[in-house]
Amino acid sequence: MLRTVICDLARLRLSGSASPAAVLITQVREKGHLSRPRLRNPYWFIRQQRTRTDDLVTGENRTFIKEVVHDTYGVPALIKGTQTYEQKQLIKTTEAPTDAEPWTPAVRRCGLIARKIGQYPLWLKNGERVRTTLLQVVDNHVIKYIPPEEYRPTQRPNVHHLNKYGCVLVGAECTNPALLTKEYCGLFRDSGVMPKKNLARFIVSPQAALAAGTPLNVGHFRVGEFVDVRGKTVDHGFQGVVKRHGFKGMPASHGVTKTHRRAGNIGGGGEKGRVWPGTKMPGHMGNRWRIIKGLRIWRINTKYNVMWVQGSAVPGSTNGLVYIYDTILPLRKPKDAPPFPTLYDNADANEPDDIWYDQVHSFKEESISYKPE
Amino acid sequence: MAAATKLYKKSLGFFAQIQQYRSNANYTAGASIRTRNELFNEEQRRQREAVGRIDKIEVRYLGLPEDVTLVMNSHISTPYNCAQHLSEGHCQRAVLALLDGSVPWDVHRPLQESCTLQLLNFNVSEPHVVNKAFWRTCSFMLGAALQRVFKEEAKLQLHSFPSPNIKSGSFVHDIVLGAQNWQPTKAEMRAISAEMVKLAAQDLRIERLEVDQELAKEMFKESHYKSEQLPSIAQQNQSRVTLYRLGEHIDISRGPMVASTRFLGKCTVSTAHKLTDEGPSNAFYRIQGVALPSGFMLNHFAYGLLEQRSQKLNSARLPNEPFEDQRQMQLS
Repeated sequence: MLRTVICDLARLRLSGSASPAAVLITQVREKGHLSRPRLRNPYWFIRQQRTRTDDLVTGENRTFIKEVVHDTYGVPALIKGTQTYEQKQLIKTTEAPTDAEPWTPAVRRCGLIARKIGQYPLWLKNGERVRTTLLQVVDNHVIKYIPPEEYRPTQRPNVHHLNKYGCVLVGAECTNPALLTKEYCGLFRDSGVMPKKNLARFIVSPQAALAAGTPLNVGHFRVGEFVDVRGKTVDHGFQGVVKRHGFKGMPASHGVTKTHRRAGNIGGGGEKGRVWPGTKMPGHMGNRWRIIKGLRIWRINTKYNVMWVQGSAVPGSTNGLVYIYDTILPLRKPKDAPPFPTLYDNADANEPDDIWYDQVHSFKEESISYKPE
Repeated sequence: MAAATKLYKKSLGFFAQIQQYRSNANYTAGASIRTRNELFNEEQRRQREAVGRIDKIEVRYLGLPEDVTLVMNSHISTPYNCAQHLSEGHCQRAVLALLDGSVPWDVHRPLQESCTLQLLNFNVSEPHVVNKAFWRTCSFMLGAALQRVFKEEAKLQLHSFPSPNIKSGSFVHDIVLGAQNWQPTKAEMRAISAEMVKLAAQDLRIERLEVDQELAKEMFKESHYKSEQLPSIAQQNQSRVTLYRLGEHIDISRGPMVASTRFLGKCTVSTAHKLTDEGPSNAFYRIQGVALPSGFMLNHFAYGLLEQRSQKLNSARLPNEPFEDQRQMQLS
């Protein structure tokens, strides 16, 4: 992200526009607050995993309990590339609700929970190679919608005029309810969805409200559109200034004594002769939530619920969770209506699995074509 | 003599508890329970003093850590006293005693003759007898909990509880309430379950007493339904009636109960089914619940299945049906 900013500015300079801001903008990303020791869990905290005890249940009863789980939620199956349950208790509809309001650019839509599964290059039709990251949407279902009148979160998200927006609670990856606590399973009781491993809230406009139990697939986004991806960065641990802040360090030889990767000077003198707060120093790097904005979707596969997004800078390691939102960058917002409130499709046989953006060269097409004479 | 004084002092201690607890309740209901307890204590003391010359019996204990022969006092020593000779762990873990390999015996009931003794807990290889005793105790405790939970305006009268049938999926207590259209809410059921858990936490000893039919009539003279049942119960037991006491609650039951209320683990009183109307303003209700012994862990999903099952109407003998064959009773 940082590099993109510098490159953009460099391009501006080269293009000849007299930009007075020919100054390198470096982002200082810190917590912004002091650490408060967390002595106990907040009142709303619900433990997810139950303490595993030896349930003295006979083998016969164990199979019976499994049968009950299968009767309630359906048999385990590989659906869209994820190991999950059939969920036959959810009513499958293919039509959008009739009272769905039309999309406007001001409306906020729901997002998706995905896993970063790898990286791969794609080639455009002009021969350019683009690095892309694969994000797989893993078994998303809407758990709950909270209208704006009732939504009073304890941890307020950083959104302007939050009282205008509602909240859609989305869950990913079904689990066996016997391994979870009763209180956590209680979250899913009203919706009838099988308990999920991961939950996320998405701040949405009331027009984009979704019914509990609605499945969310990758078709919620379209190729060519831009998304913001939020993930937890790779934990690098305690790192020095060279890796952490990109300092140049000092030469390896030519008389340099005991100072090769150190920070060097950390402040000036004079009246304010002290180390300023925020001075870049070695410290813990990574394991932070970061949002990377404005990534283009180059390709979508509906069979396995995978999307190829621009770049290799998606936060986190492989198989890490990420949350995908419509972009907030104003110049990259869509001009025509996306699937609103989400894509209600039936598994059509004639619908292609792979959807490629116009500029992208599909592997399955011929690379060279010529007319025979 | 020392054992008798120990018993007497303990019942005095209970007395103080009862007084404290019933201070807010209606005086008349409290009074009848008080007199019942007084009569119980009197009879207990009288039976202890009637032992006379103390005979010795040989009790052969079979089990861990080793088989030993104990010399105990006939009609005074209980299996709990035998366990006290073994260890504190034996005392804490003993749920039920088994005499001569076949006769289930209450842990606090005095032994009568020389016998072999086994101290059973819930983890033995043949737990049927213990399970039945546990289920029976749950019904008994449910009666005590209902007595504490209902207000005087509800005009609660405990009827009886049928023989335990674990395969039915629930333990049962039949009651008569002064309301003909009571729909139990979840909160009310949870309150009764909480009362059961409170009883368990109090670790109340369950005492047994066999009394004459006349004394039983005297004790239960305020209770219409118990007085009705007493003649047929006594007839089957050589005009003796077996009473059990738990704290201040006394009830009639045949079979052995577990040693103490602390053996109740997870417990849910799941539902109350209305059976029939009784008179102009009363009705029979069947309160059902399910419980696990203490120390048995079960995940919430499986326990939820048990709870669902226990909500179905238990098919045990209804209170307004006539008593069936003696043999039927003895089988269960």
